[in-house]
Amino acid sequence: MIGNGKKSLYPDYLPYVAAALLLAVEAILAMALLFPPSIGPAIDLASPYQPRPEWYFLWLYQLLRYFPGRSAVLGTVLIPLLFILVFIFMPYIDRGKNGRKIAVLAGSALFAVVAALTLMAVFFT
Amino acid sequence: MIDFIIRLLDRWFKLREPHRNFLSRALPEKLNPAYCLGGMAFTAFLLSAATGLLLSIYYVPSGKEAYQSIVMLHNRIWLGWLVQSVHKWSANLLIVFTLLHAARVFIHKAYRPPRELNWMAGALGFVLIMVSGFTGYLLPWDQRAYWATVVGTGMAGKTPGAGGFLVRLLRGGPEVGSATLLRFYSLHTLWVPFMLLMIFWAHFHMVKRQGISGGM
Repeated sequence: MIGNGKKSLYPDYLPYVAAALLLAVEAILAMALLFPPSIGPAIDLASPYQPRPEWYFLWLYQLLRYFPGRSAVLGTVLIPLLFILVFIFMPYIDRGKNGRKIAVLAGSALFAVVAALTLMAVFFT
Repeated sequence: MIDFIIRLLDRWFKLREPHRNFLSRALPEKLNPAYCLGGMAFTAFLLSAATGLLLSIYYVPSGKEAYQSIVMLHNRIWLGWLVQSVHKWSANLLIVFTLLHAARVFIHKAYRPPRELNWMAGALGFVLIMVSGFTGYLLPWDQRAYWATVVGTGMAGKTPGAGGFLVRLLRGGPEVGSATLLRFYSLHTLWVPFMLLMIFWAHFHMVKRQGISGGM
């Protein structure tokens, strides 16, 4: 694959890459200055409560609600594991004649389910 | 400016010759800014690593002192709050950039052979980043951190057959306590960063050797 193009990282692309990386640093600094984290109250074992996780775990938090009692293993272990495996082994889902179609279907389904669960947790839970 | 820096670095380290493929490697003609997302994710990682190193100077990973050390860091140490804030936000944006980077690669079908192993390395790296997010969440050792970890580690208890064992393994005991804190601290600051660095090395090495996919 090396040599398939007419441009090179330097001097063609590096200035743009540098600008993008600077943008990433600025975005992080801006958020850090605008929204510093607060420290919660100290641990009180006498008053347990159901805390909300970070936004990237909200889909899991929402998923747990649908599997009470004995079916809990589906929400806590099996479905998350399935999601991770689909994500990791995506290159092997895209195999053969209709591979790309199946991969796009699996990928968009995964995205749609996680996004929907996250949104439901944000707005309704 | 960039020209000057590159020439200076080359004069000192003579990197251009042994690493010809890095700077002057041929790239497809039409690349768009979306190709920078992986680099932006790595930048976020570097910021979280740098601030993490700074935080570790003041943080005390013990059940008795962790909360007090965070309060002190926040209120008494010069710019301590900012370092903690950058650590948190770089971690959040690391996840955002990584997801967008994965979406870009997926849309361009760039996970296809010969790059299938590199997709899997990246996906595994993402899982490790999530592990880092989960273990790091406990470290402030406040109400929210504690009960989130009680719920999170409790989930493993639903595993058929091995539930009890997994929960004790995660918590270092039957309940979330000082042993859990030390365990998560070790995972968050040693195990996961070490594994991530190895994955990054493989990831970047494959990018360099295989070149960038020409897109759609």
